Amino acid sequence: MLSTSSGSWPQHSSTATTAFNAVPARRTLNQPGPVPPQMAQPQPTPKNKVDWSKAVRDYVQRAFAQENNVAGVSREEVQEKLKQVITAVAEKGMMDDVDWANHPLPQQFVLQDRRRALGVDGQQNAWPTLASHLADTLNGHTNNLSLSPSSKKRKSTDASLTEHPDDSVPPWRKTNNRNIFEDRITYANQGQANRVDKKQRKNKEKDNFINCKFSPAELEKRRQRFGNISTDVTPPWASPRTDPDAELKSGPVVGTCQELEKRYFRLTAPPKPETVRSLPVLEQTLALLKQKWRDEKNYGYICDQFKSLRQDLTVQHIRSAFTVDVYEIHARIALEKGDLGEYNQCQTQLRALYSQNLGGHPEEFLAYRILYFIHTCNRTDMNDMLADLTPTDKNDPAVKHALAVRSALALGNYHRFFRLYIDYPNLGGYLMDKFVDRERVAALANMCKAYKPFVKLSFLSFELGFENDRACLDFLVEKQAQHLIQDMNEGLCFQTGKAGMMFDQLRAQAFAKIDIKGQI
Amino acid sequence: MDRIIGRFHQCVAEENGTELAKIFSTKAPASSPNFFYDLRRASNAQHIDGEIHYSLTPRNGFSFDSAEVNAWAEVFVNYWKAVGEFIGLEESTDRGELKDGQYGEVYDVWKAFTNSLIKYHSSSVLPFWTIPCLYTALTDLRTYAIKADEQSVNAKGSINFSTGLQDDIVSSVGKNEKLEDYARVLNRVFNMCLQDRAPVEYSRKWGTYFTANLMFKTYFKLNAVSLSKNMVQAINAQFDMPSLYRFPRSEIVTFKYYIGVMTFLREDYVQAEQNLTEAWQLCHKSAYKNHQQILTYLIPCRLITTHKLPTSELLSPYPRLQALFGPIAACIRKGDLAGFDAALFAGEVEFVKRRIYLTLERGRDIALRNLLRKVFLAGGYEPLKEGQTEADLIRRTRIPIAEFAAAIRMGLGADGKLLEDDEVECMLANMIYKNLMKGYISRERAMVVLSKTAGMAFPGTGV
Repeated sequence: MLSTSSGSWPQHSSTATTAFNAVPARRTLNQPGPVPPQMAQPQPTPKNKVDWSKAVRDYVQRAFAQENNVAGVSREEVQEKLKQVITAVAEKGMMDDVDWANHPLPQQFVLQDRRRALGVDGQQNAWPTLASHLADTLNGHTNNLSLSPSSKKRKSTDASLTEHPDDSVPPWRKTNNRNIFEDRITYANQGQANRVDKKQRKNKEKDNFINCKFSPAELEKRRQRFGNISTDVTPPWASPRTDPDAELKSGPVVGTCQELEKRYFRLTAPPKPETVRSLPVLEQTLALLKQKWRDEKNYGYICDQFKSLRQDLTVQHIRSAFTVDVYEIHARIALEKGDLGEYNQCQTQLRALYSQNLGGHPEEFLAYRILYFIHTCNRTDMNDMLADLTPTDKNDPAVKHALAVRSALALGNYHRFFRLYIDYPNLGGYLMDKFVDRERVAALANMCKAYKPFVKLSFLSFELGFENDRACLDFLVEKQAQHLIQDMNEGLCFQTGKAGMMFDQLRAQAFAKIDIKGQI
Repeated sequence: MDRIIGRFHQCVAEENGTELAKIFSTKAPASSPNFFYDLRRASNAQHIDGEIHYSLTPRNGFSFDSAEVNAWAEVFVNYWKAVGEFIGLEESTDRGELKDGQYGEVYDVWKAFTNSLIKYHSSSVLPFWTIPCLYTALTDLRTYAIKADEQSVNAKGSINFSTGLQDDIVSSVGKNEKLEDYARVLNRVFNMCLQDRAPVEYSRKWGTYFTANLMFKTYFKLNAVSLSKNMVQAINAQFDMPSLYRFPRSEIVTFKYYIGVMTFLREDYVQAEQNLTEAWQLCHKSAYKNHQQILTYLIPCRLITTHKLPTSELLSPYPRLQALFGPIAACIRKGDLAGFDAALFAGEVEFVKRRIYLTLERGRDIALRNLLRKVFLAGGYEPLKEGQTEADLIRRTRIPIAEFAAAIRMGLGADGKLLEDDEVECMLANMIYKNLMKGYISRERAMVVLSKTAGMAFPGTGV
């Protein structure tokens, strides 16, 4: 259930088997990943230097050899892919297992990616290609992305997410390439808006200049000079940005933060990459949070941590099985603590995530959703939910239970309702706790009218689903009905005949105020 | 172009709003399928404005002041632009190759046209009698909005993922971008009509109910029925609003129908019944579909308020309603619980679609009442005591719970075996609580004691 599968992370598995297509756009030497915790630090300490084996070096040689050139695949792309291939293998610790002499060349992977992009592309839309975003964000470098069919496809759906400071884009396009935060900024006047635009353009030019200085070719030369590829070199432009204009750039953030824990703050400006944790870090975070929740049960802390975790996923556009996992766990914890506001937020998100078929436990949460609508007495949403139910849904035990609860309450069948209250699947009981009180009052209103002159307390206690007579007694006292309890020959009895309208009034009150905070 | 200006002139001279509205049609007249092409060819983007201005001068018999000339010119130019899109749309549709977002583009140009009408109505440059132009523009705009949304959902799916500063991954679910936009346009017109201060005979207030009905339609489609409440309140708050009954009957019927459904969904069945009944009575007798639509809600409504079921004569002209309500009504009448459950299950999809499932579900109480009533009748009479005559006969009013339990178990068929005694009591308690049965349950005697007063044991059923 609590899997932290790394399979959901497209970047690590950049070999030919992945469903996404890795756009060959990486331009820097730093790798987001579990390996280099040093990369975010301003002054890198050189360690982790690897001496590549002869086989690998030959493979690199072969990749750049003249006779292996493929028309239409640039040197940059080859270099990019090469790095991805090697990194992927290195991260799996399989450097020595791969038959480098016969391993497909990077240019073949590039071609394969392109073919795949032309064909099945459904999955691709949902995945932001982080590799390319990384390159874009850190580099703003010219690349021929827009020439390849894959990127065209991406652009059409993702156009607002990615900026392509591409020289091939004509200038009139460039000026229209507004950043996505713009509609959130209220400019005092048009002039100001234009100024910002200009500033951004300037900034872009600056980026391009940097790239001229550190062209990939030069970097490659440098690498060959040192005879190895080290992952710990932090180029100057990857250091924490201070230029506020740079933050106006759009597109998903790529986190570099290595801290596992982070307090939640509502974002008022685009997040800085160094404050955002990348997926591998977040996976560790989740494991830590689960442990902490088991050990400490400190809800305030956990909720805060989960919110920051969700935020980090959002700003990096990570929508995967891991995302579902995070939301499900947070929803369950919130349920357990009766925090319906937070629970409902997670539920809303989960509903959308399930529609993307990312796995998880849709039936379990569908059942919660039904119970939640019962709690909020939301007939409109309940009807919509019923309309969406599939026969498969209806056969799921948890959904069946929730639907039975709904129908029992709709018909006023308190007997059946309290049987269902006692025997529930998953965490449904926590949700039912939220409205069991008012249903008890409603049932009492019902029984007080129907039964004359009295009923035994034990009967009441059973019918209302109390653990024991004592709990039932406490409930009645709490509702100020102690005067109706009488010790008779038969034992303690409840004088239903004398209750009058008191429970009807309580019932009306109970249903008048339903706390639906967090309802979206 | 001259033809359209000629027609326009005639409408203006006669102050005929309905005919005028037909000029700004989104479809070429059937009599001249090439009309749009001719209209487009008659001018070009550079000259159209000047040409229209020139046409609207006294030379052609118009007596507009300059503001009105400008207003009509803008309306015509926007229409001319829209015609270009209509041609494109028609061609793509014929070829079966609609471009992505093509309906969205048509929506946008038609919205520009509509907005120009709104603009000059708001400033009262266009006379009040031209308001039918707005009616047709808005009606067509709605169609395009819906089509545009359908197209974009087909193309992009229905989920917007967050791209900005949100904390959560999904920013909104369900895309009705254009229709929501349309609702805002409509709202502007509604308020413009509602708040027009002109003397009542020239007032745009006469447009209120037409736009209100469009808003109802739109909100229902957007699944935002609750928003209609504000609109109704806004109408009620207008002290100088002409009485609803002075409006065209079609508008009254539609309005009453939507108010009825709105209150129905809020479970205010008394209000709902009143409004729906009125809509039913005012509805034109040949408006078959409308009758059917009204009955779809009126029947469940009456089931709750007066426990009345539709007769077969009422349903007979409407095969659809017969299929919808026939089986379930028969089961309620017979007190057939198992049959009722089966009918409710069988019709679930249709019932849910029409939002009457949750209401019909409560019909089970009536079915149960009818079953229990049979038990009561089968119980016969108390034996006569000495000196009493036939006239003194009273029914047996003390009925063992076991008798009711047996009947319910039989009524439930296969499910009956699972029924616990306590649940039977619970069902009986419900009958008493809901005033479907008058009396009380005595636990220690395991009896139901029903009212002795004749006709009160099962109120409204004669016993």
